[in-house]
Amino acid sequence: MSNMIKKTSAFEIVNHWAMAISFFILVISGFGFLFHLDIMNSIFGSFSQMRDIHNYAGVVFAVSLFFSIFNYLAEAIAFTGEDIAWLFKGGGYFSKNARVPAQGRLNAGQKGFYLLLLITGIAISATGLIIWLRPVSTDINKWVLLSHLIHNISFDIMIIAVVSHIYLATLANPGTFRIMVYGTVPVEWARKRHARWLEKKGV
Amino acid sequence: MTNHWVDLRNADVILVMGGNPAENHPISMKWIMQAKEKGAKLIVVDPRFTRTAAKADVYAPMRSGTDIAFLGGMIHYIIKKKLYFRDYVVNYTNAAYLVNPDFKGPGELEGVFSGYDEKGRKYDKKTWSYQMEESGVPKKDPTLKDPNCVFQLMRKHYARYTPEKVSAITGTPVEKLVEIFELYGSTGKPDRVATECYAMGWTQHTVGTQNIRAMSIIQLLLGNVGMAGGGINALRGESNVQGSTDHGILFHILPGYLSVPSATLVDLKGYIEKHTPKTKEARSVNWWGNRGKYITSYLKAIYGSAATKDNDFGYAWLPKLDEGMNASWLVLFDQMFKGKFEGFFAWGQNPACSSSNAGKVRKALGKLKWMVNVNLFDNETGSFWKGPDVNPKDIQTEVFQLPAASSVEKEGSITNSGRLAQWRYKAVEPAGESKADSEIMNELFFRVKALYRKQGGKFPAPIVNLTWDYGEKGAGGKVKKIDIHRVAKEINGYYLEDIFDTKATPPKQIGKKGVLCTNFVTLQADGTTSSGNWIYSGSYTEKDDKVINMMSRRGKADPTGLGLYADWAWAWPVNRRILYNRASVDPQGRPWDKKRAIIKWNAEKINPATQKPGVWEGDVPDGPAPPLADEKAGKLPFIMRADGVGSIFGPGLADGPFPEHYEPLECPVQENPLQRKHRINPTVKLFYAVKGPHAEPAKDGGAIEDFFLSCDIRYPFVATTYRVSEHWQTGVLTRHLPWQMEMMPQQFVEISRELAQDKGIKNGEKVTVSSARGKVWAVAIVTDRFKPFKVMDSTVHQVGLPWCFGWQAPEDGSGGDSSNLLTPTIGDANTLIPETKAFMVNVEKA
Amino acid sequence: MPRKSFLISPELCIGCRGCQTACKGWNQLSATKTVNYGSVENPPDLSPELYTKIRYVEMPSETNMARWLFVSQRCMHCGDAGCMRICPAPGALSRTDDGAVVYDKEKCIGCRLCVTSCPFDVPRYDENNKITKCHMCFNRIAEGLLPSCAKTCPTGAIQFGDRDEMIGLAMKTGYQKVYGEPDLKGLGALYAFKDAPKIYGMKENPAIPESVVFWHNVLKPLAYWGVGGAVAASLLHYIAFGPKKFEEVTKDE
Repeated sequence: MSNMIKKTSAFEIVNHWAMAISFFILVISGFGFLFHLDIMNSIFGSFSQMRDIHNYAGVVFAVSLFFSIFNYLAEAIAFTGEDIAWLFKGGGYFSKNARVPAQGRLNAGQKGFYLLLLITGIAISATGLIIWLRPVSTDINKWVLLSHLIHNISFDIMIIAVVSHIYLATLANPGTFRIMVYGTVPVEWARKRHARWLEKKGV
Repeated sequence: MTNHWVDLRNADVILVMGGNPAENHPISMKWIMQAKEKGAKLIVVDPRFTRTAAKADVYAPMRSGTDIAFLGGMIHYIIKKKLYFRDYVVNYTNAAYLVNPDFKGPGELEGVFSGYDEKGRKYDKKTWSYQMEESGVPKKDPTLKDPNCVFQLMRKHYARYTPEKVSAITGTPVEKLVEIFELYGSTGKPDRVATECYAMGWTQHTVGTQNIRAMSIIQLLLGNVGMAGGGINALRGESNVQGSTDHGILFHILPGYLSVPSATLVDLKGYIEKHTPKTKEARSVNWWGNRGKYITSYLKAIYGSAATKDNDFGYAWLPKLDEGMNASWLVLFDQMFKGKFEGFFAWGQNPACSSSNAGKVRKALGKLKWMVNVNLFDNETGSFWKGPDVNPKDIQTEVFQLPAASSVEKEGSITNSGRLAQWRYKAVEPAGESKADSEIMNELFFRVKALYRKQGGKFPAPIVNLTWDYGEKGAGGKVKKIDIHRVAKEINGYYLEDIFDTKATPPKQIGKKGVLCTNFVTLQADGTTSSGNWIYSGSYTEKDDKVINMMSRRGKADPTGLGLYADWAWAWPVNRRILYNRASVDPQGRPWDKKRAIIKWNAEKINPATQKPGVWEGDVPDGPAPPLADEKAGKLPFIMRADGVGSIFGPGLADGPFPEHYEPLECPVQENPLQRKHRINPTVKLFYAVKGPHAEPAKDGGAIEDFFLSCDIRYPFVATTYRVSEHWQTGVLTRHLPWQMEMMPQQFVEISRELAQDKGIKNGEKVTVSSARGKVWAVAIVTDRFKPFKVMDSTVHQVGLPWCFGWQAPEDGSGGDSSNLLTPTIGDANTLIPETKAFMVNVEKA
Repeated sequence: MPRKSFLISPELCIGCRGCQTACKGWNQLSATKTVNYGSVENPPDLSPELYTKIRYVEMPSETNMARWLFVSQRCMHCGDAGCMRICPAPGALSRTDDGAVVYDKEKCIGCRLCVTSCPFDVPRYDENNKITKCHMCFNRIAEGLLPSCAKTCPTGAIQFGDRDEMIGLAMKTGYQKVYGEPDLKGLGALYAFKDAPKIYGMKENPAIPESVVFWHNVLKPLAYWGVGGAVAASLLHYIAFGPKKFEEVTKDE
């Protein structure tokens, strides 16, 4: 196992999990709100407490989303021809013997996922803040209603995307999960998946 | 009220003029709205578009103080269009009576009736009399054609009140006048009835009594008096003001509307002689013929066994008025202002805010040696010595504050406007050291009596002989605790001996010694009965050895369907719900209006009292006598009038037998639009001398506090004052209630958009309202609910402000002060009720 | 149990505001310090200390100098209540057997979403950030008493009873239709209007905001089905394709 390569920084890992944990808290409490799940009273103490936790978890989420920009944004918006071709091949997920174009540190799917997360994350955070803090305005009710709508649309998109993300990062791609634990991957593993990255790094 | 609250629902047309029931008597609107739901029309005439006006089918604006012009116009219209109810007018009013041919009216005598004494400002009423038959009854012309008959004189008098003239005076558009005259006049048919609701908007004028007289004439012309859904209804301003008036709160009447004796009537015989009306009219009941029974029973009630035949039943102990003396409100405070009083009990009142020209009252209070303020809260009166512009160091008056219990903290009766006496129970104990008024009086009486006993004093008899058996007596003979039921029983009266009907053979016993009187019919003039207030006799009685508090009855049966509810509490007199109800039937006793038959004569049915056929059914009739057509025993319907009929011609009043329009003391026109010689009521008592036909203030005409300015550029706008639903009178009870204060927090003045624009005043801005006597700040409510009037071809603005505020509460002074700082010192020619409803002000940005 | 409702008839209302005070009395609400701002209407708006008020509408009239309407304003106890739909806290808003939309301050989380989705701008928040509003005096009506406003109204402008009877009463009085039937599955505060509702300051067709309906009908189920769907799709994918393998890919390169 000596030929490992560092794929993620410690900061990135911490940030990822900060986001992930806050996200799960947000999802669970969000579902509690949406579907009036009484069990939340046992988990969070009360709905009032859950509301506070939801709000502050939202802050953690928003902050980690902000920091994630430094980790991913530059890479995520740099779409190459190979990335597009990768997407056309569905990332090779719909064949047992997929051939996919070479990818950078992030593959096109990951880039796409990140951009989606970023956009919906900004939307959900901003609208969450509006619902929470009701910044003074003459038309606050209209703003809150709009925010509530966007918050929920974002949530629906996000929750589907994140389920897929979890699947792809675990069962669908064995060996991926350790990236967010140790930060390193075997070079060979990486070469198969992120050839361009390795090229760039001269490995 | 001649009728009662529930009865408002029986009307076809309801005229609200001089009142504002939606704001001041909200419960009355329950019945008015019910009438409307059945198709009745509500007419509202008011200078301002009020909350009542908002419910009106027809609304007309009218400049304050011009009601007689308006009503005179209506009389003119009714006669001209022959809308009157002829049978009623001929049979039940004095319209057919022939008047002294020397009688002349203001149309002929430049604004006054015949007999005017300009210097004395009063009338010699010699010519206001009837032409008499040899038998001593007035001559009549049932055809109503004789030029000297009341009807023709009235026609002539009001011929001057054409719609155009009336419009020029009142500012009401002609078409509105005609619309209202037509609608109201439509009730001159037997099967249509109209009622009128008024309050202080009519009474508080220099022509207040005549305002109501004018309406009485209309109601008599249309045959609306005595009818279900008819009558003239004074909406009393406090829940129990009817009760307090019944019980003699005014200076000139004892309980039961018995006149206060004057000093010239030295004995009871002279008093009875003077105050008992006589008539030769055989068909007249002339109920006041019984006055001797009532005054004697009253004396027996208050002086008990000390009142004997030999000492004239203690008549000498009654307080007397000097001949011609007036001790009404304005005069009292004028005397106080002049330093004529030592002490003053302000009991349940707040004259420092409620009185017209309150600024003068506040000064007057400072001339007292002592004052006792009995109230639920301290108020502007009790704290006058630290009021605005008063230096406490300058005030020598010693003020005692006695906390009184509120109405829910004591038991007793209240009498509402419909003369309905209802018993109420104590809900909670009085707060803190407060006491029921009766207990405060008990304490006072005991101490005063002890002092008289000890020191003698100038005239101890009225005090030491006063009965006071209102409970168990403790040390020193003081009543330990007032039993209010004993007071109620004393008011009802007792048989002091066994009483017999001597006319029956053999004499029939009608009363047993020691038993509560059945009703006033059994009261006696020989001292064998007592009654503290004859009209309440029957309110607390005994039947089959059982004592019955009639006022506590709560029966809900209504067999006629007209809302009489005869088993609910008790109405004076003798539980009669509609006064003069014998006028609701034709001379044969058949109801004019079969749908609303309040009483009817059943000629076949055996009368249980007489065991003969013929009995009244329905409400308690105005006397059991058969209907008028019965040649032997038939009686006229207006039993309280000596002549038995309704008075279209009313010679009893000071200012004329027919109401005539005079301008308020302060008005926007230079001269009376009807004639040039008498701008104001020529018989009104003046507190500040006037000069000339326009009644301008004379030089050095009196105290500067009583000054006035009419038709003066400095005070160009007509003003009126009013109450609001959210506050009670001067607000002593409501300004301490945060819930009420949040709804009506501050003094305001309502002004028209046009005036606001002229003066550059914006809605919600603070303004100063000033008159010749004082000023107040107010928040301007700029509204369409006031519009400028077109009066005598010029534009007249009117404003209005409530009188429920005062400097003392709320404590931060944010409420403002009383609008009565603006109102004048002048009153009605008959009653001296102050003219607070029409005066002149200026409005400026503060 | 039949649904109860108010029947409010502005034609009968005299603007005396007995209802305003009676409501405060029963609910023991404190007063607020107000000023006269150029109107007899006060306080200017519903508040945590004011569950019901009379709105005074002064408007031009053809026959008179003005037309003055008095309209009772309060929670309408909608059959389909926007506040109840959007409220995220179970039990904070609920409907009694009588049809009253009531609230439990203990369970309210203070999010104010009910404020935004109320078609009538009714809920207000108290100093503890909890919802307050008219609750149809649920604690009185449960005992067979009238709500305090209806009890005190002198003219019958505020009637209360079984909803069907209230509609019948309005019809009997001559109204062709009542405001609040059938809007929002029927309001618990019906109005007998003589004129267009907007004259009385009421919306012509009150409705829960469209976004709330969309959220309630589409987005909310989507969150549920979306997660389930994504998980199911993942599982199906796993079964169909299994974990990703790259050996072949490498060879090709």
